[in-house]
Amino acid sequence: MPSWKFPSGKRTFDPQFDSELRFHVDKLTDEFIAKGMSPEEARRRAVLEFGGSEQIKEELRDVHRIPVLETALNNLKWALRLIFKSPSFSMVVMLTLALGIGANSAVFSAIDAILLRPLPYPEGDRLMELRQINQKVQKPQTRLAPPRLEDWNRLNATFDAITGFYTEDDSETSGPLPEKIEVAYVAPRFFQVFGVAPALGRDFNSAEGQFGGPNAVLISDRLWRRRFSADPNVLTKQLRFHNAPWSVVGVLPPSFAFPDRDAEVWLPVAPDAPYAQHREWGWFIAIGRLKPGVSADQARANLEAVQAQLGKQFPQTDADLTPGIVPLKETAIGDVGSSLWMLFGAVSLLLLIACTNIVALLLARGAQRRHEISVRLSLGAPRFMVVCQLLTESFVLAVAGALLGLGLAGAASGVFRSLAKDLPRVEEIHLDGRILLYTLACSVLATLLCGLFPAIRGTRGSLSDALAQASRSQVSGRTPLQWFLVGVQVALAVTLLGGAGLLWRSFQALGRVSPGFDANNVLSFHITGSYGETADWEKLQSRIWRTLEELRSLPGVESAGTAMSLPGVPNTYQNELTLAEAQTDPNRKIIAETRVVSPSYFALMKIPVLAGESCREDVHSVNAMVNRSFANAYFQGTTPIGHHVQEPTNPFLPGGEIRGIVGDAREVGLNREPVPTVYWCLSAADPDPYYLVRTKTDPSAMAGALRRKVKEIEPARSVFDIVPLEEHLNDAFAQNRLRTILLAFFAVTAVSLACIGLYGTLSYSVTVRRREVGLRLALGALQGQIVKQFLLQGLTITLLGCAAGWGLEAASARVLSGMLYGVSPSDGPTLFTVVLLMLMVAVLAALAPAIRASRLDPLQVLREE
Amino acid sequence: MPIEKSDLLQGTLDMLILKIVTLGPIHGYGISQRLRQISKQVLLVQQGSLYPALHRLEKRGWLEAEWGESENGRQAKFYKLSAKGKQQLKKEESNWNRLAGAVANILQTAQ
Repeated sequence: MPSWKFPSGKRTFDPQFDSELRFHVDKLTDEFIAKGMSPEEARRRAVLEFGGSEQIKEELRDVHRIPVLETALNNLKWALRLIFKSPSFSMVVMLTLALGIGANSAVFSAIDAILLRPLPYPEGDRLMELRQINQKVQKPQTRLAPPRLEDWNRLNATFDAITGFYTEDDSETSGPLPEKIEVAYVAPRFFQVFGVAPALGRDFNSAEGQFGGPNAVLISDRLWRRRFSADPNVLTKQLRFHNAPWSVVGVLPPSFAFPDRDAEVWLPVAPDAPYAQHREWGWFIAIGRLKPGVSADQARANLEAVQAQLGKQFPQTDADLTPGIVPLKETAIGDVGSSLWMLFGAVSLLLLIACTNIVALLLARGAQRRHEISVRLSLGAPRFMVVCQLLTESFVLAVAGALLGLGLAGAASGVFRSLAKDLPRVEEIHLDGRILLYTLACSVLATLLCGLFPAIRGTRGSLSDALAQASRSQVSGRTPLQWFLVGVQVALAVTLLGGAGLLWRSFQALGRVSPGFDANNVLSFHITGSYGETADWEKLQSRIWRTLEELRSLPGVESAGTAMSLPGVPNTYQNELTLAEAQTDPNRKIIAETRVVSPSYFALMKIPVLAGESCREDVHSVNAMVNRSFANAYFQGTTPIGHHVQEPTNPFLPGGEIRGIVGDAREVGLNREPVPTVYWCLSAADPDPYYLVRTKTDPSAMAGALRRKVKEIEPARSVFDIVPLEEHLNDAFAQNRLRTILLAFFAVTAVSLACIGLYGTLSYSVTVRRREVGLRLALGALQGQIVKQFLLQGLTITLLGCAAGWGLEAASARVLSGMLYGVSPSDGPTLFTVVLLMLMVAVLAALAPAIRASRLDPLQVLREE
Repeated sequence: MPIEKSDLLQGTLDMLILKIVTLGPIHGYGISQRLRQISKQVLLVQQGSLYPALHRLEKRGWLEAEWGESENGRQAKFYKLSAKGKQQLKKEESNWNRLAGAVANILQTAQ
C-alpha cells in the first residue's frame, strides 16, 4: 500500500481493532478448550483458524482510510482522459470560461490598482487632503493661504506633519528651445509627509526652504532620463526658470508621481517670503500625514479646534473658515469608482452567464453519461466520490479556462491602459500575485457554480431508472432545467445589452446638442507664464495683448482670443454677485457662473450678441457681458445693460459695466443646460490663460505656424498643449466613451454566450428527440412543421428571458441613471430595440438545429434503434 | 465439499452477513458461528476475514455497531442491521433468487 495515503485510521482505530479481534480469538480458544483441548493447543488452533491478525488489521485500516491524494490523482487522470476524449466540448467550456474569467480578472485588476490598493507611498492610507471651507460663500472650498498652512502644521496634535503644493506650467530655458514643464511648488515638509526619499541626491535643506536661500530643485526620474540621459552626475547640473539658474539637488524615484504624472520639477516655496504672508490668499492644496492610529474624524475635530482659535486671533480672515479632510486616495481617484464598479457588475454578470452556459452543457453531457455513472454507483462507488470526480473535471476545465483568461486579462489591461490614459493610477494596473489569486478564486467559484449542480443531479437516482432511461424505447426528451438556464442567460444578456444601449443613446444625444458656440476650426493652446508676472498687471496685459495681435496677423487665422476655461469642457465656477445699482428684488441673491474671456471671445466662438454691444477692454476698467439666461433670471422686464456688477468675494476684480447680452451657450459642459452667466472681459486675468484661435482651415495644420510665431515674438516662452477644441470636448467625455465601449463589448459577448447556450440546448433537445421527430416525419409531418416547432420552442424561451431581462434592467437602471444624458433609464425605444435584436439573434441561433431536425432521415433514425 | 473463500463472491458474503444480522445485535464471533452452523460447514471462511467485510458494511451504513457486554461479561462489538441495510438485503435477496432461479432453469433445461 502506498504510504502517502491518509493515515487517519492507524492510531485512532488500532486499539478497537485489537480488542475486537482478541475477543474473537479468546472465544474460539474457549470453544476448543470446551472440546477438551489443552489451553495451549486450543490457543494454537484458534489463532490458526482465525488467520493472520496483523494482515487482517491492515485490511481493516484500509477500509477506514480516506485515500485523499490517491483519489485526487486518480480523479485528475480520469478528468484529463475525459477532457481529451471530447475535445470540442472541452474547448467550448474552456473558451467560455476564459472569456468570463478573463474579463472579470481584467476589470478586477483595474479596480484593485485604482480603488482598492493604498496609494503607492509608505502607509499611504494615512495621507489626507486638507482644504479650508467657508460655508458663507458660493464656492466654499478654497485653497489654503501659506500662513494658515504653517499655523495648522504648528498647532495641530493629530498629524505627523502638514504640507501643501500647487502646480504651474513654467518655461525651462536652459536648452536650445524653451520647454514647458509642469512644476510643483511645495511647502516645507513635502517629501517627509509622503515618506519618499530621492533616489539620487537629497531633499531640500533648511536654507533652500527659506526666502533668499539658494535655488534648488528636485526633478522626476523621467526628466532625469530625458534631459540628462540618466547621468549620475546630474547633481552638478542646473535648470533655468524665471531667468535664474536652479541647481538640481535630487532625483525622485520613478514611482513618485504626485501631484500628477506630468509633474517633473519640484520647487520649494519659502513660508517666510514677504509675498506669502497674506491670510486671504489661497495657494496650497494641503496634504497631511495622520499620526498612527488617528482617525480622520479625530483629526477633523482637532483641526476645527485649531481653526476656531485662529478665528479668534484673526477674525477678519479666519472666523468663517472650517477645515475639510478627505483621504488623499479619494481625491486622487476622483469619480472613476462608479464607472469601474458598474463595469465590474457587468463582467460579473458575464461570468454568471458563462457559468450558466456551462451548467447547461454539463447537464446535457451528464445525461449522456448517466449510464456510466449509474454503473459506477451500483458497483459500490460512494456518491460523494463520484461527485468529487465530476467536480474534478469541471475544475480542470475551469483552471485551464482561467489560465487562458489570464492571458486575455493581460492583453486587456494593455488595451485598457492605452484606452484610458487619463484614468488616475492607470499605470499601476498590472497582473500580479493578487490578480492570480483572484483568478484562481474565480475558477474555484466557477467550478462550484458550474459543476456542483450537474454533478449532484447527475448522480441522483438508481441504476434501474438510468438503465431504463438509456434503453431505446425511451422517447421523452424533456429538459426544463436546461431551458430555464437558457432563459436566465437571455435575461442577463438583455440586461447588459440594455445598459449598453442606454449609454450609447446618451452618447448620441450628447453629440446632437446644440452647444450655443461653434467649436469647429478652433485651436486651443497655452503659452507658459508664471505667477510672478502678476506683480505687474499692466506689463502682463500688454504682453498678452501683443501676443494676440501677432496671432491675428498670421495668415489663416480668423481671430484670436483668450479664456480662463474652455467652453463645453466640464468646469464650473459659480459666484455670488452684487449690483452697484438698486436690485429689482433686493432679497434675491444673484448667483451666476462667471467666466473670464477676451473681448474677441464672442465673435471667435460665434456666440451671438443679442442686445447692446460687444465689450471693450482698456487698462483702466473692466466690462462684462451676460447671457440671455442671466438677463431673464434677474432682469425680467428690464435690461441689465448699463448696470454695474461686482464679485464681492474677489478683491482683485473691480466691478464692471454690463455692455451687452449674448446668446446662451453650454459653457459648463455639453451635458448641462446653460446657466445664468457673467463674462468678464479680461484678456489677461492670468499669466497662463487658454489661447483660442479660429482658423480658416484644419486647425491642427496651423500648429507649426503658431509655434514659429510665438518663438519669434517670445523666444523665452514655450507653446504647449496645442489641441483642437473639439478634441478637448471629446476628451472631456473619454471616461463616458470608454465605459460605453466596454459595456457594449461585454454585452455583445453576453449575447453571443446566450446564443451558444440556446444553440447548444436546442441541439441537445433535437438529439434527444430524434426518434420522436423521425417517427413524425415517417408519419407524414412536413419539414416546415418540425422547423416551426423547434424554432418556437427556442423563441418562447428567449421571449420569456427578454421579459425577465427587461424587469432586471428596470431594477438596475438606478445604477446607470447618473451616467445617462438625454435618455431615461426606462427608455422604451432602446429596450424595444434590444429585445428585437436579441430575438433576431436567437432566431439565427435556433435555426440551424431546427433545420437539422427537419432534415432527419426517418429510416435511418428508426434503424439506429 | 467445502467452498473456499476465494470461490465465495464477496457480494455473497456481504449478503450472508446481512441476513445473519437480521436476527438481532450480534458480535463477530457469533456471526462466524452462525455462518458455520447455517451453512452446515459448507462455507469455510477463514474467521478473521469476516472483519474487513463487517467494517466495510458498517462504513456503507448498512450495519450499525455498538460496544456492549457479551454473555461472559467481556466488552464486545455488536452489529445490527440498519434501515438502509434492510433495503439492501431485500434487493440482494431478490437479485440472488432471480439469478439462482435462472441458473437452475438453465441447468435443468440443459440436461
